[in-house]
Amino acid sequence: MRLHPQLSLLVAGAVAPVLVLAMVAGVLLVRHERQTMQSEAIGRTRSAMSAVDAEVRGHFTAIQALASSKALELSDLRAFYEEAQRVARGQSDWLTVRLALATESQVFDTTIPFGNDVPPMKDLGSFRLAVASRQPVVSDVDTSGARPTVHMRVPVVLDSVVRYVLTVQVAPESFKDVLRAQHLPESWVIALVDRNRRFVARVPPAASGRPVSDTFRAAINRSANGWFAGTTIEGTRTYTPYVTSELSGWVLGIAIPAATVDAAASRTVIGMGAGVAAALALALILGWYMARRIAAPVAALAAATEAMGQGKDVRVPDPARIDEIVQLHDALRTAAAAVRERSDLQEREKAALQAADRAKDEFLAMLSHELRNPLAALTAAAHVVKLAQPGSEAAVKARGVIERQTKHMARLIGDLLEISRVAMGKVALERERFNLAKMVADVINVWRASGRLERHFVSLGAKAVWVDADRARLEQVFSNLLDNALKFTPPGKRVNVSVGPERDQAVLQISDEGEGLAPGMNERMFDLFVQGERGLDRAAGGLGVGLALVKRLTEMHGGGVSAASGGPGKGATFTVTLPSVQPSAEQAAPFESAPRGAARQVLIVEDNDDTRAMLHEALAFSGHDVREARDGASGLALAAERAPDVALIDIGLPDLDGYEVARRLRAAPGGRRIGLVAITGYGQPEDQKRAFEAGFDAHLTKPVAPERLKQVMAGLR
Amino acid sequence: MNPLQRLLVVDDDADMRLTLKLSLELAGYAVEVAANGREALEVQRMRPANVLITDIFMPDADGFEAIDSFRREFPGTRIVVVSGGAQFSKRDYLPDAALIGVDATLQKPFEIDALLQTLQSLT
Repeated sequence: MRLHPQLSLLVAGAVAPVLVLAMVAGVLLVRHERQTMQSEAIGRTRSAMSAVDAEVRGHFTAIQALASSKALELSDLRAFYEEAQRVARGQSDWLTVRLALATESQVFDTTIPFGNDVPPMKDLGSFRLAVASRQPVVSDVDTSGARPTVHMRVPVVLDSVVRYVLTVQVAPESFKDVLRAQHLPESWVIALVDRNRRFVARVPPAASGRPVSDTFRAAINRSANGWFAGTTIEGTRTYTPYVTSELSGWVLGIAIPAATVDAAASRTVIGMGAGVAAALALALILGWYMARRIAAPVAALAAATEAMGQGKDVRVPDPARIDEIVQLHDALRTAAAAVRERSDLQEREKAALQAADRAKDEFLAMLSHELRNPLAALTAAAHVVKLAQPGSEAAVKARGVIERQTKHMARLIGDLLEISRVAMGKVALERERFNLAKMVADVINVWRASGRLERHFVSLGAKAVWVDADRARLEQVFSNLLDNALKFTPPGKRVNVSVGPERDQAVLQISDEGEGLAPGMNERMFDLFVQGERGLDRAAGGLGVGLALVKRLTEMHGGGVSAASGGPGKGATFTVTLPSVQPSAEQAAPFESAPRGAARQVLIVEDNDDTRAMLHEALAFSGHDVREARDGASGLALAAERAPDVALIDIGLPDLDGYEVARRLRAAPGGRRIGLVAITGYGQPEDQKRAFEAGFDAHLTKPVAPERLKQVMAGLR
Repeated sequence: MNPLQRLLVVDDDADMRLTLKLSLELAGYAVEVAANGREALEVQRMRPANVLITDIFMPDADGFEAIDSFRREFPGTRIVVVSGGAQFSKRDYLPDAALIGVDATLQKPFEIDALLQTLQSLT
C-alpha cells in the first residue's frame, strides 16, 4: 500500500473518534431540544386545560347562583322556571336548563312550557354521581339526542338533603372558543376529550362524540398525563402532550406535527452534521497536504535511490523540513557519492587494466622487433661466415657482428629475465651498510672511463649518506636512471647527479636537459612495458623495463622513485629516496666528492658563443680556472696579462686566424710551455697537419665532446 | 649473372648494413650502403642502383619517405622492404609497405637465400 493513502488513513483514524463524539453530542442535543419542546408543550397543555376547567367552573358557578334562588328554596317552581328561563337566555352557551328531583323525576325544561312533559332523562350516570357526591358534575358527550350535548349537573342541597339536581345542557362546540383562545400554530391540533375517549371539542374541528385515535386512547389508558407519538384522526403523525382534568376527568391534548418537531431536530442534526462534515473535510485536506509533504520527499528519495542504482546523481530539490527525511536524504547522498566513487574507481581500474594490456601488446611488438633485428644481422653474418674464406676480411667482420649482436641479445634477454624475477619477488636483497654517495661516484667514474659519458656534461654533487641496502641492486637502479638520462638528452647537454641526506632519508637525483616528459607520463612510466611516445626511428629504443625495474627495486628497499618534468623539451628529474642509516664507526671516514685533475689556468679564444660557453663550463666543471676571449687580439691581451697553462684556440676567428694567434703566443715570453689546442670544424688530416705546423700541441674537431676535451687536457703534460 | 646487379642497402643498424653488404657481395652483387633515406638518395644520385633494399624504421627520413622519393626520382628502381615489425600491433608496417606497391617484402630475420631468391624473381 502506498504511503500517501496510509497517512491519509492515519489522519482519518485520528478524526473518527471526534466524529463519533460529535454524533453522540448531536443525538443528545436533539433529545434535549425535543425535551425542551415537550415540556413547553406540556406547559401549554396544562394552561389550556386550566382554561377549560375555568370555563366549566364558570358554568357551575352560574348554575349554583341560579340554584340558590329563593323561589327554589320556597319550592315556588313556576317562579323558579321563569327565573331559570331568564338566566338561560343570558347564557349564550346554555341550550336548556332542566330541573329534576333527586329522585330522578323531571320537573321542567326551560325550552318546554312549564307543566308540560319533559323528555326522559339521559346520562343517568352523571346525574346519580352528582346526587351521590353532592358535587357539581360534568357529563361526557351525550350523542343520544338530535345534537351532541354535555350535561352540567349541580346538586341542590336544602336542609342538608339533595333535593334537586339542576342540569344545564351545553353544546360541546362551545369549548372550541376556549381552545382557539390558546392561539396555537395552524398545523397543530388541540383537542378536548371526555372520559369515554370521545371528542368534546377540537381545533381543527371534529364531530363531537367521535372517538379519538387509537394511539391517543392507548396513551390515556396508560397514563393520565403524558406524551405520546401517534397519528391524528386525519392521519398526521404527531407528538402529543396531554393532561387529565381533576375537575372534569376530561383530557386535553395538543398534537404537534412530527414534521415540526423533527424539522427542528433535523435542523440541529443538519447543522451539526454540516459542521462535522466541514471539520472532517478540513482534517482530510490537512491530512492530505501533510501526507503529501511527507510522502512527496519519500517518493522523491525512492526515485533518487532508483536513479542511484542506474548510476545517476542523487538530488532531491526539497527534502521537506522533516528531520528524519533530511537525514535520510543526506545518508542517501553520502551513499550515492560512495557508489559513484566506487564506480569511478572501477572505471579507473578498468582503464588501468586496459592500459596495462595495451602496454603488454606494445611490449610484445617491441620485443619482437628488438629481437628480430639482431637475429637478422646474426643470420646474415652466419651466412657470410659460411661462404667467406676463413680469415678473410669479410669473415672477420662477420665474426665481429656475431659477437656484438649476441652480446646485445644477451643483454636484452638478461633485462627481461631480471624484471620477471624482480616482478615475481624472486630477488633476495643482500643488504650491507654502505655510503650511497661513494657508490654513485664509483659508477660515474667507471662510466667516464669507458667513454659512455663523453657526449654529455655529467656533474656530480655528493654528500655522504649511508644506506642499508643491496649494493648491486642500487647500482642497477642508478645505472638505469643514468642510462635513461643520457639516452633522452641530446649530446652537449647537461646531466646533473646529486646524492645526499635529507632528513632521515637518502636522496638520489638525476636531472637532465632532455626531452622531458609528456603530461600524465610521470606515474605511468614506471609501469612495466610502458614507454614514452616515440617516432618510427626508435632512436631511444629499449624494452621499457628499465624504469619498472627501478621502481620495484627501490620499493623492495623501502624507498621510492618519482619523476618530474617541466613538460616536453624541458628536461626531467628522477628522484630516488631510500631510508638512510647511521654509518658504522670505521666507515665514517671523510668522503671526497669527485676526483678532479690538477687545476690549470685555461684561456679560451673562440668567437662562437655557444662553443665558448660549452668549453668554459666543461673546463670549470673539471676544476680549471677559465678565462675567455671572443677574438685573437683580446685573447693575446689576456695571455699577456697572465700566461695561461693551456690555450684553446678556434682556427676561424674574425680578426687573426687561429694559426696566427698560436704563433704569437708561442713567440711570447714563457710561450713555450703553454699547451696549445686547436679547435676546428674540419677533421681532415691536412687540417691537423697544418695545426701542428703552427705550433699546436693538440687538435679538436667541433663539436667538442667533453670527454675528448678531458683526454686532450690530460695529455698535455 | 643477374642483370640487376647493383644494390643499395639502407638500414640504420650498422651491423645489419655490414652483414647484408658482405653476404650480397659474396653472391656477386655490387652493394652500396646508406644509414638513412636521405643518405640513400645521395648515394643513389652518385652511383645509381637497380634495387633498393630498405628497412622501414630509420632516423631522419623513414622508410616510407625513402620509398616515396625513389618512386618519384628513380621510377625504374625495384624496391625490397625488410622489417622486424611484428604482427602484434600497429608497428607492423610490412602489409602497408606491400600496399604502397613495393616489389617485395621480407620480415626479419630472413635467410640470405630467401633474399637472393627474391632478388632473382625481380628480373
